[in-house]
Amino acid sequence: MSTPYRLWEIIQRSNTGPHCDEDDFLPKIFTPKLQEVIKKYDIRYDSEIPLPTDDDLADRVWQAGWELFREVGLYNTDTHRMIKVSDDEIKEALYMIKGAYWVGAGKDAVLWIHRRVEDPEPPFCIFSPDITCDENLHHSMCLAYLKEPLLDGFCAPILEDTMGQKISSGSPTEINGCTQHIYNLRLAAKQVGRPGVFLVAVGTAEHDTGQIAVSDNEWGVRTTDSRLVGTLSEFKTADTLLNRVVHYAQYGCYTGNLTGPIYGGWCLGSEGVAVTLVAYSLSGLCIHGAIYNQHFPFHLHWGSNTTRELLWPISVAGQAMARNSKLLNTSNGFSNAGPMTEMVFYETACHALVSTVCGWHLWEMASARNKYRNRATPMEARLGMEVGHAVARQAMTREQANELALRLLSKYEDKAADAPKGKEYQECYDAATALPIPEHFDMYRRVKDELADMGVDFPF
Amino acid sequence: MSLKELCQAVESGNASKAEALSRKLLHEGFDPLQMISALTETMNKLGELFARLEIFLPQLMLAGEALTAVVDILRPLIMERGEKGASKGKVVLGVVKGDLHEIGKNIVKLMLETNGFEVKDVGYDVDSLTFIKEAEAMGADIIGASSLMTTTMPGQKEIIELLKEKGMRDRYKVVIGGAPTGQEWADLIGADLYCEDATSAPRLMAELLNKH
Repeated sequence: MSTPYRLWEIIQRSNTGPHCDEDDFLPKIFTPKLQEVIKKYDIRYDSEIPLPTDDDLADRVWQAGWELFREVGLYNTDTHRMIKVSDDEIKEALYMIKGAYWVGAGKDAVLWIHRRVEDPEPPFCIFSPDITCDENLHHSMCLAYLKEPLLDGFCAPILEDTMGQKISSGSPTEINGCTQHIYNLRLAAKQVGRPGVFLVAVGTAEHDTGQIAVSDNEWGVRTTDSRLVGTLSEFKTADTLLNRVVHYAQYGCYTGNLTGPIYGGWCLGSEGVAVTLVAYSLSGLCIHGAIYNQHFPFHLHWGSNTTRELLWPISVAGQAMARNSKLLNTSNGFSNAGPMTEMVFYETACHALVSTVCGWHLWEMASARNKYRNRATPMEARLGMEVGHAVARQAMTREQANELALRLLSKYEDKAADAPKGKEYQECYDAATALPIPEHFDMYRRVKDELADMGVDFPF
Repeated sequence: MSLKELCQAVESGNASKAEALSRKLLHEGFDPLQMISALTETMNKLGELFARLEIFLPQLMLAGEALTAVVDILRPLIMERGEKGASKGKVVLGVVKGDLHEIGKNIVKLMLETNGFEVKDVGYDVDSLTFIKEAEAMGADIIGASSLMTTTMPGQKEIIELLKEKGMRDRYKVVIGGAPTGQEWADLIGADLYCEDATSAPRLMAELLNKH
């Protein structure tokens, strides 16, 4: 945690901050302030340039996000008060960021460092299907992902059932599901020879009790691993979320800040999403004590972020944060199409390309809009990470990346609304060996070759 | 001054102007039902724009608030005349237990209200039994339960199971929605309807009630 010394001063503001009726917070405080800063800092979306190269625009987005966070804070729905942070506290927290953290354990430990815009250092790659899966596929999917060469960290699929029972949030089944989740995960990590690999766990826990139940360095989530604290869209929290903040800080693991600003929702359009991403990052740092951000802005109706109205804010906010802070930020892709379709490969490649060049680390890939059980595989994430490594190593510029992004967008953008759902994991992989079937691998290879022809200089 | 101006005031989310205009129109002898009809058309148009994200949620919500302000003025007059208005059904709407995400539920509520449904919003993190008690108290036709997390989806199933156990299953239609849910889940738990999005919810719910 970067700001542990402020933990209790800030948590206390849940009970002492300005009171506000919950129904008023978004329409009367949050969105009007957002509209005001968008206007004040002259932030304008240009659909022709999904990846802008305007440094001044990036800096204005940073200032707007800062002002938005300072003014609206984070609303606690349990106490109906706004947790607000001052300019000095934001400055102090930003100064205290280390910009580099060792995560994971033993030989599998990895140094995770801040990235700059057009940084030649490859992104830190967290593989994650983000979706739920059948109980009997969970271990196999963990194995399949953990076999990925470029994996620096892993967030496993989520269990819906445990011992044949449906997991219900806050109930005993959730604690059991969380235990099963981390045992599967640790077993798979050991089996593939990565026992100390950095894990973000456990996604099966929706309630704080599930998370807290599996904190154990011997068999559970270790202090060298990470846990996420979410925010309710937009800019709302609750005691069940703040309980995690306190527990993770006191347990000593790495806290990640999980946010999904909604394009078309209370944070308006592309400009608002960009500003909100910055504001959320400051909230994660100052209120959650997060060492990194996990951002997944998404389209209100589609639940995806690979079309240009979402790539633009990802690009601009990434540049804003990379230029003005030492924050570690992961960009979480949400594709429209599902596994074993060419479209999901193009979408993932484009998301990874734009994110990497703009200073993000990668978190790939929530396929098929993160909606359908079992519909994600490591192959689409693999291609995204390979694109990330390639474009960083070849020091691709924003201009070049924008040109390439436009070419990739032309391959899928018009199909976004009615994207193919693709196949389920067990149709794309041999679940016993946790390896892709030839048809799936061949499709990945074809798209990779096509990307290479477009100028992506893959290292292997 | 015209009905068009009133519709424009609602469309721009100017509640105070919409209220003032509606009073003037009534004074000039306009039929309140005709006004409601025109405003419903306006909201449907906004709903279509929102479905394409040519407008965003705050604009839709503000328009909804302006419409509500006008309806509050018109409703007593319609009731006085002994006309039922255009009520398409009564809905108890909420987010199931353990789930704190309510943006989707709020959009559905707005779309239903602006399309002639009466909605009792029971909020989020709502116990299954509360849905049923509120439905009884309201004399509801539909119980609408939203879930945004896979681990809270069982709350939707629990509502249906409780209704069965209490011998009340035939009394209410149970409609489900939310990102992780789908037709498959609706079929599995025996829900009467799955709504994929807020825009289609009023039409599908109206069809559901007319069908039975």
